[in-house]
Amino acid sequence: MADAVIVVALLLVAATATVAVATRDPARQALVLSVLGVVLAVLFTVFQAPDVGLSQLAVGSALTPLLLMLTVRKVRRRGRDEEHER
Amino acid sequence: MNGWTLAATVGLAGGLGTALWGVATGPLRRRVVAQNLATALACPAMLLLAQGYGRPAYVDLGLVLALLGPVGTLVFARLLADELAEDPPRAWVATWAVAALGAVTVIALCVATGPSRAMAKLLVIGALLIGGNVIASRALAGGFRRVGRG
Amino acid sequence: MSRRVRLWLVLAAGTGLAVLLVAACLDLPNFGGDRHPYGDRAVRASIARHTANVISSVNFDQRAFDTLGEMTILFGAVLGCVMLLRQTRDEHRARPRPAEVAPPVRRYALLVLPVALVTGIYVVAHGQLSPGGGFQGGVVAATALHLLYLGADYGALERIRPLGVYEVGDALAASAYVVLGLAGLLGSTAFLANSLLPYGTFNTLSSGGTVPLLNAAIGMEVACAVVLLLARFLDQAVEIEKENGE
Repeated sequence: MADAVIVVALLLVAATATVAVATRDPARQALVLSVLGVVLAVLFTVFQAPDVGLSQLAVGSALTPLLLMLTVRKVRRRGRDEEHER
Repeated sequence: MNGWTLAATVGLAGGLGTALWGVATGPLRRRVVAQNLATALACPAMLLLAQGYGRPAYVDLGLVLALLGPVGTLVFARLLADELAEDPPRAWVATWAVAALGAVTVIALCVATGPSRAMAKLLVIGALLIGGNVIASRALAGGFRRVGRG
Repeated sequence: MSRRVRLWLVLAAGTGLAVLLVAACLDLPNFGGDRHPYGDRAVRASIARHTANVISSVNFDQRAFDTLGEMTILFGAVLGCVMLLRQTRDEHRARPRPAEVAPPVRRYALLVLPVALVTGIYVVAHGQLSPGGGFQGGVVAATALHLLYLGADYGALERIRPLGVYEVGDALAASAYVVLGLAGLLGSTAFLANSLLPYGTFNTLSSGGTVPLLNAAIGMEVACAVVLLLARFLDQAVEIEKENGE
């Protein structure tokens, strides 16, 4: 019974990671990835590793989405420009 | 396992499970709202876990999540502004329901802590969590107009 | 090599890896057992040096040399990104147009920015006492600055972000870590040995000997590195355009 929270966190991580892999569009994938970051932080906390959880939160909640979305924007704009020239 | 961890377990399974379903399926407007609510639901769960394990230091995780979670949603609101403007999300019921859940959690924890510096910290986290969650929802529902190339 | 041979090669290598992994897992101690020989020693050493957060003691005292390696990896990775994402000769910069941000969102960003900055510094400063430390706090502080881009526009962020200062800060912080290590070598026994400073009172800000100093160096290095990294990504996404583009 005491391990219920560990089981819940593990299942959530497995499900979220599978969804992240199965999503094709990069912008939607970034959304799933940011949820995965939060769920992983919960998993680390229930494993009594708050230092690792804090690293995961710091990196995963705002920094990774920002890097990914800026890259998506650059790639999409370049695609639009090339279409424009044709 | 005590009542606090049990509450956190139920909140995680129900709340984050629903949020995962929302972020995995449906149109973009539903997915961004689900992402916002995922961070808003995980933060009270973190606070409950800190109380359940009897480790006040774990509250720092809730603090960082309450600060950076809404910032992550602002990232999506800003960089997906053009797509969201065509089909803006309207999720005020869900937003306020999650905010109320956060408020109830923080108040319960404050009562359990008693007046001290720890309680002041909890109140700051609660204010950041609810304010950030509501503002992030506002930002998704047309907080950025004519972003263009900015 | 034909497709068939390659497939067999992958299958053979994969099977070998799987067998080794399973064999290793079967030999692991049971989940949640009561014998932790390494943990016991790490906790004892950490308490002997008055460091309340054992993880910080492992990172910045008992295994401080490994952290030097990790810091060098981040330094090198950011250096590589800065090189790859620089402005090339056939690109030019366009002024970003200011965005129209709803007033509540703007107020929130400007209000939370200082709070997040202070939280970052708090996480770095309490690294030896509670969960957190240089890396976590540095990332939080660097992310806080970018609320100015999210809540206002890129021009506002550029005004408070002289990149040269952050480049110097990054290099200074990285060398400060090495200098602290060398000081350990000169002052006592070994590189990065924690015997320079008094250990202080257990569970206070000044406890842990050199741990808080190394923590601060890592915090500054990480914060500067993240700002530089995001600056290149933002330049590419917002300002830099191909010549003959739109």
